Amino acid sequence: MSATPFPPLPAFSRRTLLAASAAGLAVLAAGCSSPPADPRETVTSEQADELAGQVAVQESLVAAYASAGAADPALAAEVAELAAQADAQLTRLRAASPGATASPSSAAAPAGADPRAWLREQVAATATSHATASVDQSGARAALLGSIAAGLRGQDGRLA
Amino acid sequence: MADDTSGPGALDESTENAALDDALAAEHTAVWGYGVVGAALGAEARPAAAAAEAAHRDVRDQVIALLAGRKADVIDAEGAYALPFPVLSEVDAAALAAVLEDGVAAAWVRVLDQSAERSTRELAVGVLGATEVRAVGWRAAAGQTPVTRPFPGLPET
Repeated sequence: MSATPFPPLPAFSRRTLLAASAAGLAVLAAGCSSPPADPRETVTSEQADELAGQVAVQESLVAAYASAGAADPALAAEVAELAAQADAQLTRLRAASPGATASPSSAAAPAGADPRAWLREQVAATATSHATASVDQSGARAALLGSIAAGLRGQDGRLA
Repeated sequence: MADDTSGPGALDESTENAALDDALAAEHTAVWGYGVVGAALGAEARPAAAAAEAAHRDVRDQVIALLAGRKADVIDAEGAYALPFPVLSEVDAAALAAVLEDGVAAAWVRVLDQSAERSTRELAVGVLGATEVRAVGWRAAAGQTPVTRPFPGLPET
């Protein structure tokens, strides 16, 4: 009996690949003013607003990493990689939501004497927010939000 | 009811079913692969592999039921799969488990990309999160860094 190779990685739509690619961000941004290259990628105003809202949610998480790190320098060093990943997620979310504008930090200073536990709460809440938003989106936007939500679930587990 | 736009190339039940069938193939692979993982792990780590295998069996069964209910194609499991590398140690086993979870994540991100039904996206995003949590544990056990990924299931850039 011959063994079957592991399934190949699935093919993604051009828009999904663009959403995942820093090189494609400008193309995605251009998509808001020209006809979509993929007819599946028609975005309702409600979806666009919700995606812009998720940018703000992620901005708060990036600020939360900074706040927790300021409160506990040892934690800052420990979670530097996680913070960098949260920042990379924000970059791609912004690129996928050309209408979103950068907003000032809205993260509160870590509450109580346990910045790690506070940070973990922020990560978990952000993951849940993106996961919920992913269900309301479709195509590349759903894929991007779902992937980021999963990445944050992984971060939550790492902070446990 | 499908909730995406209509027209050429629109997401519909056929695009969704095709992605679900690919996800099912990945789940079949994971169920088989965790048998290899468990066999190579020590007693202390084996329960984690058993729990992961059970989780993938549950998802597999959900997808089979969903596709069968639609009278769509349901891919069968293969008798065996070619391992991507030899599994000769516990570290190899953990690395294989991470590969399995990464394959499943890619398939479920694809489901999110191709789904027309909200309920299917709910299933996909739940599976995806659970998969990445397990993957983090296996990457750590395999000594890989970083153990977390910002974009599980999406292609590397």
